[in-house]
Amino acid sequence: MDRMSEHPVASKLDALWNEYRAACPDSDASAGFMPALWQRIEARRVANISVFRRLVQVCVGATLALTVLMGAILIPRLESALIYNATYVDVLAADHPNTYVDILTGEIR
Amino acid sequence: MLVEFELIERARSGDDAAFNQIVQAYRKRILGTIARLIGRPEDVEDVGQEVFLRLYYSLDQLRTSEVFEPWLYRLTVNAAYDYLRRQRRRQESRMSDLSEQQVILADAAAGGKRSEEDQRRTKVRELVQALLGKVSEEDRILLMLKEVEGLSLKELEKIYRVNENALKVRLFRARQRVLKAYETESE
Repeated sequence: MDRMSEHPVASKLDALWNEYRAACPDSDASAGFMPALWQRIEARRVANISVFRRLVQVCVGATLALTVLMGAILIPRLESALIYNATYVDVLAADHPNTYVDILTGEIR
Repeated sequence: MLVEFELIERARSGDDAAFNQIVQAYRKRILGTIARLIGRPEDVEDVGQEVFLRLYYSLDQLRTSEVFEPWLYRLTVNAAYDYLRRQRRRQESRMSDLSEQQVILADAAAGGKRSEEDQRRTKVRELVQALLGKVSEEDRILLMLKEVEGLSLKELEKIYRVNENALKVRLFRARQRVLKAYETESE
């Protein structure tokens, strides 16, 4: 499209924008605008809180489940570990068969 | 600015009364802009509430009070985009619901009740909406803000966050597309 042929249509379009501006003047909101706005704000707030609450519930549930699972896996393993089959005194006695046991049992003073 | 920076600061810190005052100050202007952007008076308040709802929950992201107005316009533009996109999808699915004759009859019935001035205004609105219906939502909103709302390039730069040259190119192309549509309409 060349510039010469565009010109009259372009100026008509500019005039049309102005007419459109005049045909759609600013008009104020109805009386229900503000109450409805605050209702929407409150509804969003409640929705956000319930999403947060649900998230917290999921996190707490997941933590509990993980704790139970870890307990179920780790406790039997730890119980079966050799180090817990003997007391500290037993281990010492095994390392130093004579003197320590006697001292501990009160036979040597 | 229609409000003091201090009022915006108060609203940012969670003062609902301050937020209420801001809405009351900008309500008329924003609703007017939305009415011209979307071209459907019955949905203007709904979109307007969406704008102020987004404003309420995004005020804490506002860097400084100085950029409040471009920020508000940006929210307005985004809400209008969302509305127009939804509307376009709905229209596509509704097109087959009414026959052409039904549309003509409905138009004639509505037209008979209006005054001459109202009819002329309605005609202008319909023509502009028909032209804008032939370009993308992006072109439509950009042209509206520039040509009808009268925003400067500097203001548009802040809203769109692009430099002046890029904006000029976009505006030129959008204008060319509408001109082409207008020429076709005038033939």
